[in-house]
Amino acid sequence: MPRGLPLVALPCAFLLLCFAAPTAYLFSASVLIAEGMIPQDQPTIDNFRLILSSPLYRGVILRTFVVGFFVGLLVVLLAYPLAYFLVRTRSRWKGALIALSLAPLLASVIVRTYGWYVILNQDGALNSLLLWAGLVERPLRFLPSTPAIIVGLAHALLPYGVLSIMSALNAMDPALERAALSLGASPARTFWRVTLPLTLPGVAAGFILAFAIAIGAYATPAILGGPATETMATMIRNFMLVLLDWGLGSAMGVILLASALALLAVAGLLGGGARRGTAAPA
Amino acid sequence: MRSGGADGPWIALRAVVAAVFAFALGPILITAAVSFNGSARSVFPPEGFSLRWWGEAFSARWWEPMGFSLRLAALTALVSAAIGAPLAFALVRRRFRGKALVEALVVGPLVLPTLVTGIALLQFLHVLGLGALVGFWGLLIGHVVISLPFCVRTVAVSLRAMPPQLEAAAASLGAPPHVVLRRVTFPVISGGVFAGTAFAFVHSFTDVNLSLFLASPGERPVTVAILAFLEFGFAPTLAAVSMLSLVIPLVLIALLERFVPIGDFLYADPGRRR
Repeated sequence: MPRGLPLVALPCAFLLLCFAAPTAYLFSASVLIAEGMIPQDQPTIDNFRLILSSPLYRGVILRTFVVGFFVGLLVVLLAYPLAYFLVRTRSRWKGALIALSLAPLLASVIVRTYGWYVILNQDGALNSLLLWAGLVERPLRFLPSTPAIIVGLAHALLPYGVLSIMSALNAMDPALERAALSLGASPARTFWRVTLPLTLPGVAAGFILAFAIAIGAYATPAILGGPATETMATMIRNFMLVLLDWGLGSAMGVILLASALALLAVAGLLGGGARRGTAAPA
Repeated sequence: MRSGGADGPWIALRAVVAAVFAFALGPILITAAVSFNGSARSVFPPEGFSLRWWGEAFSARWWEPMGFSLRLAALTALVSAAIGAPLAFALVRRRFRGKALVEALVVGPLVLPTLVTGIALLQFLHVLGLGALVGFWGLLIGHVVISLPFCVRTVAVSLRAMPPQLEAAAASLGAPPHVVLRRVTFPVISGGVFAGTAFAFVHSFTDVNLSLFLASPGERPVTVAILAFLEFGFAPTLAAVSMLSLVIPLVLIALLERFVPIGDFLYADPGRRR
């Protein structure tokens, strides 16, 4: 391969040095005794033992998974009708509507989450509406809370669900639906027995993709949550930048990494559709 | 489904879709409205009308991180395209041992949580004694790592879509390899290169999870500056800054879309093209 060598060697050297080696180092840092930020040469499993034995940290990990699960669920529930409409509509606005539903990908997750703060804070839009309608006497506290984090993340990750489900719908032969309808099946029955089963891999891919991104998201839990709603990502940030305990930060990072990989492995087992949806920038 | 005479479900679907669009776009529109708020609180509906938050968004305090993000994203996009396009070319057109390994290495940063890549790089720089790189150069390294997969993928998609006979025809007509590359291959795949560059720019410009750890107090992108400002509360200034940081990539993509159908790389079922 002499002709191809320089093309491959430079980018690979870069990725090995700046991605693979640091990630490998993270694993070793997680099992070394650290003095503050500097790992020493003595191996230890205390970092993992401390995280997994403390009810506080176990709670954080559990909350992260609950958040991820419900974010995935909400994303596919909201994305499915939208994706179905976008694929099947004959509106001349089709292209514009597709662009509009994917455009949020161009906004930083901070921009997308800020809107939820404006809606949910004590002087926010939702409280104004409830007060105006006379449904409540005084403003409710929606923030900080885990449900707010779930809604905010589902909103931020919706385009991934739309992309995954759209590609499953695009890959499906529309003649199958017409055949079911012409043989007398009702539209509802056609959907349940033909369309949904055929696009289920796309739904699973969207669910797992949203789940995996959600558990590693920092900004939304930081903005819509608080000290009582820490997730793995906000905890890692505290370990690394506030408490300066890089050993615990690395161990939590390894747990997060293993969780994301486990999820994507499940996606691989379910049919390998998950990678398709990742063609879009996060 | 419309052809099935099933208008009722279709109308119901349109209502649901309208609601999902309201959910997806509402928060962004509300943020836009708050940025023109007359009072200093993030209230909705806005109290009065004022441009002072936009004035603040354009002040040096915010222009500095905004300019930093723009420089960082532009350089990230150029470097990613410069090393990503040749790599994609090699992956699609050449056979070599360890190819699967190289492919895994390229998608790695896309698959692993960006936040973990960030803390790994932060520690690695410190261990190598390169802690001084934290700031612009550390961010550039990290952003190229996480943006490279987009460039490689878009270029690979356009290379796979190109009939290989084109290059063979040019070569058989006597064009030397570098002329084939410049006059045939590059014009055909330029769409993929531009799309990859644009995605890399947007990905860098909007990143939070990696930048959080590699920014230094004086050298931080606008996303990190917004997060730091949040600790002091939510002023409508942030709404204006947020809108500004949304408009910049939007305008960039819209401009580029006029020349290159970038959107195709986003949603036109890349899985089927390959």
